[in-house]
Amino acid sequence: MTRSRKPKTTVAAHLKRCGVPRRDFLQFCTQLMVAAPWGLAITEKATAAEVAREIGQARRPSVIWLHFQDCTGCSETLLRTSKPDLADLILHVISLDYHETLMAACGHQAEAVLSQAVKDNAGKFVLVVEGSIPTKDQGIYMKLAGKPALNVLKDVAAQAGAIIAIGSCASWGGIPSADPNPTGAVGVDDIIKNKPVINLPGCPPNPYTLLGVVFQFARKGTLPELDELHRPKFAYDRVIHDHCPRRGHFDAGRFALQYGDEGHRHGWCLYKLGCKGPDTHAGCSTRHFNEIPDVWPIGIGAPCIGCTEKHLAFRVPLFDHVPIHDATPPDTYPPVHVSTGSISSAGVGMVGIIGGALGGAAWVAARRFRSSEEEVAIIEANHRNSQKDTPDVGGR
Amino acid sequence: MEVTRREALRSVVSKCVPVATAALVLPEARAAETTSQPKAPVGMLYDATLCIGCKACVVACAEANDLPRDVSLDGLHQAPEDLNAFTKNIIKLYKPHDQSPDSFVKQQCMHCIDPACVAACPFKALWKDDENGIVAWEPSRCIGCRYCEIACAYHVPKFEWDMINPKIVKCELCRPRLAKGYEPACTSVCPTHAVIFGPREDLLSQAKERIEQSPNKYFENRVYGEHEAGGTQVLYLSHVPFEDIGLPDVGAAPIPARLNWQKRIYKFLALPLLMYAMLASIMKKNWIDHRREMREEEERTGLRPQL
Amino acid sequence: MKHVIVRWQRGVPVYALPKITPFFVFLCGMGALSIALSAYREWAGLGPTTGMNDIYAWGIWKTFNTMVLTGLGSGGFSIGIAAWIFSRRDLHCVMRTAVLTSLVAYFSGLVALGVDVGRPWNFYQVLMPWRWNPHSPLLEVALCMPLYACVPLFLENTPPLIERWYYTWPRFRPFMMKHLVPIIRTTYPYVIALAYALPMMHQSSLGALMLLGGSRVHVLWQTPFLPLLYVWAAGFLGYAGVIGVLMVACISWKRPIDMCILGVLGRIMSWLVLSWNAFRFLDILARGQIGAAFALDRFSLLFWLETLLLIGPSVYLLWGDNRRIPSRLFQAAVLIAVGGMLYRFDPTTLAFTSRPGAVYFPSAIEVLIASGYVCLAMAAFVLIAKYLPILPAPTSAWYDMEHYARVVHPDWKMEIHDLSHHNRPNLAN
Repeated sequence: MTRSRKPKTTVAAHLKRCGVPRRDFLQFCTQLMVAAPWGLAITEKATAAEVAREIGQARRPSVIWLHFQDCTGCSETLLRTSKPDLADLILHVISLDYHETLMAACGHQAEAVLSQAVKDNAGKFVLVVEGSIPTKDQGIYMKLAGKPALNVLKDVAAQAGAIIAIGSCASWGGIPSADPNPTGAVGVDDIIKNKPVINLPGCPPNPYTLLGVVFQFARKGTLPELDELHRPKFAYDRVIHDHCPRRGHFDAGRFALQYGDEGHRHGWCLYKLGCKGPDTHAGCSTRHFNEIPDVWPIGIGAPCIGCTEKHLAFRVPLFDHVPIHDATPPDTYPPVHVSTGSISSAGVGMVGIIGGALGGAAWVAARRFRSSEEEVAIIEANHRNSQKDTPDVGGR
Repeated sequence: MEVTRREALRSVVSKCVPVATAALVLPEARAAETTSQPKAPVGMLYDATLCIGCKACVVACAEANDLPRDVSLDGLHQAPEDLNAFTKNIIKLYKPHDQSPDSFVKQQCMHCIDPACVAACPFKALWKDDENGIVAWEPSRCIGCRYCEIACAYHVPKFEWDMINPKIVKCELCRPRLAKGYEPACTSVCPTHAVIFGPREDLLSQAKERIEQSPNKYFENRVYGEHEAGGTQVLYLSHVPFEDIGLPDVGAAPIPARLNWQKRIYKFLALPLLMYAMLASIMKKNWIDHRREMREEEERTGLRPQL
Repeated sequence: MKHVIVRWQRGVPVYALPKITPFFVFLCGMGALSIALSAYREWAGLGPTTGMNDIYAWGIWKTFNTMVLTGLGSGGFSIGIAAWIFSRRDLHCVMRTAVLTSLVAYFSGLVALGVDVGRPWNFYQVLMPWRWNPHSPLLEVALCMPLYACVPLFLENTPPLIERWYYTWPRFRPFMMKHLVPIIRTTYPYVIALAYALPMMHQSSLGALMLLGGSRVHVLWQTPFLPLLYVWAAGFLGYAGVIGVLMVACISWKRPIDMCILGVLGRIMSWLVLSWNAFRFLDILARGQIGAAFALDRFSLLFWLETLLLIGPSVYLLWGDNRRIPSRLFQAAVLIAVGGMLYRFDPTTLAFTSRPGAVYFPSAIEVLIASGYVCLAMAAFVLIAKYLPILPAPTSAWYDMEHYARVVHPDWKMEIHDLSHHNRPNLAN
């Protein structure tokens, strides 16, 4: 990092001066297109060459990267590529003016770099915040050069051109904010209210999401369309479940029930192992990690933990099931003989009552006939006895 | 006793007329049993071995017939389980529990040559076209008695049970489309040509050709519908037993043939009228006796006789 | 008061009993309920109100109220043939009860049929012969049954009414004697002949209905002779029905029972039942289906149930003096009625199958409507029997009624007959 008062050169010029091969740059641009197929102006409906030209004409964006309560995973993800050259390339296309992990300076020199970088690029630099900010007890639980992180953030953010909160920790608090949240860890947008903050949740998120936003800002000065949680829609508008390569197994009812069982080894759906995919907005299912295809949690057989979602990650137990928001239509075939009709219990009851009533009536009638026969037998006997007295008269 | 001319005439007439009537009527009645065949019957040939169960025919039928969404399964998804008041055509799956082969089957009206439903319908609401033999339903004639549902061996006609103005719903081979020169909707969208449309003779010969070319592929090497129930205009080829895909063994006689004796007895209403004449003549004789007894009883008891 | 030997000689109304009783109110209430529920059924459709479905498309209204109960109400036809065609003069006194039972049964059955059809507004086509399908048994039923009920059966039931008018409406008497009675006298035999020809047609057509069911009707029932078996069954069911009605009416209203005539009816009924059963067995044997009777499934059980219910009581009644003992005759008649009704009901529902998984049971509303119309029929019968001289009784009962009427209805010009007036025969013989 050199102090420079000169305006930044364009990316293309800088790459040429540093002797970075164009093929590597094109590959970088292709990765960017994969990460943002639509929703990003510089990559939308463009070829790799067109994207390369756009980015090449951009002035190297100044990026100031602040670390707070972080694990540095988001920085790692930026550089954890499949090829070391690509990592270098990333550092060439952006001007990472302050990064505690990567810069050589330390101590007072580092403090000086920060204040200088902020002063030199005031109003133009992209502030990337990694890690959550403790707020409890006036934020004493994390200090940078003796200053609470809270104040550092406010000071630097006041001068920033764009603020990006990278990772779940910076977006909504992340791991440090898990119960009981002893330090009062919160995300950036809980502190910075007067400027737009772009959240890129994830643990870690895809690095090309960050780069896409940065280059959009550098080239066009605009930010991509955001959702209600200030996440760029091009990366966070769909849930994993709707783009999961294992969705067919879910729909067909094929689930892995235990790690290592037959279903797990066949790559069946991990929903029953607690996959949070149906409720998690992220692009991991289509943009994998380290530029190696199928290197992402579900791809290697680990159920999604919902690391982008505040209500899921580090809150809902790993093996708990999440609700499905859009039910899959039944793709079944009816059998040749379908059951038809039903037996209503009220009907059975009525028939029973009526049958019983009729049977009872018949029985009562039979009894009355029998008792009348007895009467007749008595009368008959009397009649025979009194036969000699009165002639029988037909009548009366 | 002298036999008067009148008595002699009466006795001859009373004996000859029934015999003559019977002799004249019965052959006539016998002839009337053969029903007329349609002049150019059209139909469909469904080959279950070609069907992939894509259900494009179900969708096309619903669209062409302007049927409402059938969400009878769960109230949300269009996945009918059977032919019903909203579904005129359906794909079902026969899946045995053992390892024997399974099969899709397309169910709709068979358009029988001598349909039981047409014979059953009291007011010809279900009628068979003389030309193309399609069995169709006419709403202005139907009284909703559902006798057609009782008579059909394939359980095809369905009733709109929940409507205040209920209809009988069944496949009518897309008559409006045929009138415009198109094929029925289902045959026009089948991606594998599992179901095809055409004149019945052509389809029958085609089916037999297929059987010849692949002996032992098709069940019993025959076409279902060639002779069943007197022949149906929708023919079936299958690799699994016909019973298993819902095509019952109804025999070769048309179902309305069971009414032949009824037709004979009621032809010209001759025999009922003869019966009435016989009863009336007996009654007349007994009535005279009865009146005499009523008079005697009235004299005896003084009470008005009761009829 | 009971008499040892009673001979029924003429119809006498049920007098000196209140016309409106709690039972009558109950019957009317059930009838009103069924009318209200029928209106609901017309509005809501058949689906929500009945248990019918596309496999069992006929519920108990068509099959029970129309097919079975009109069989039970065929007394006017079957007893009438014995009384008029075969000149059994002793049965004339029960004819009025028989035809009244037929009338209420037929009208109740026809109303149930009207409630059952789904598009009744097209029924006007019965009057348009060019719209008829002459081969349809249902058309034959739809034409013949209403014709029978409204013309010959109705006319057969008018004499008791005219008789009542004769006594209670003296000003009508001259017109009646001069115009009405001669017309009746000349036309009556032809009306009666029609009243026997028409039921033969439609009762057999009720059987022909199930011919089209084909193999859906189980082999133990499905036969080309189904129409003949149905009309024959209507024959003995008519007897059973009238025996039951007479006995229940007499025991309820404390009227003398003539066991001789009832015994005659019982004997005729038993022979009809036994010969019918013999024919049915021969038919099953000839069709080679006797094995199905021993298959130990629900069909064979039903078959044997019907057979036992019919043969057992019939043989019993022909044995010795059984049919002249009221309780025995009554129980036997009830069992025969149940067996016969079961026979006529089975091919339509219990022995009517199609494919596995299809079931039918009437819903509560269906049962209520069906029984409500039966109750209406019973209420009509009860009311008419109290007004008109229908139920048979000895002539002495008529005299008692005359005395009663003179006291209660002095405006009626009932001629009161004295015991000593005419040459009184010994009616006890």
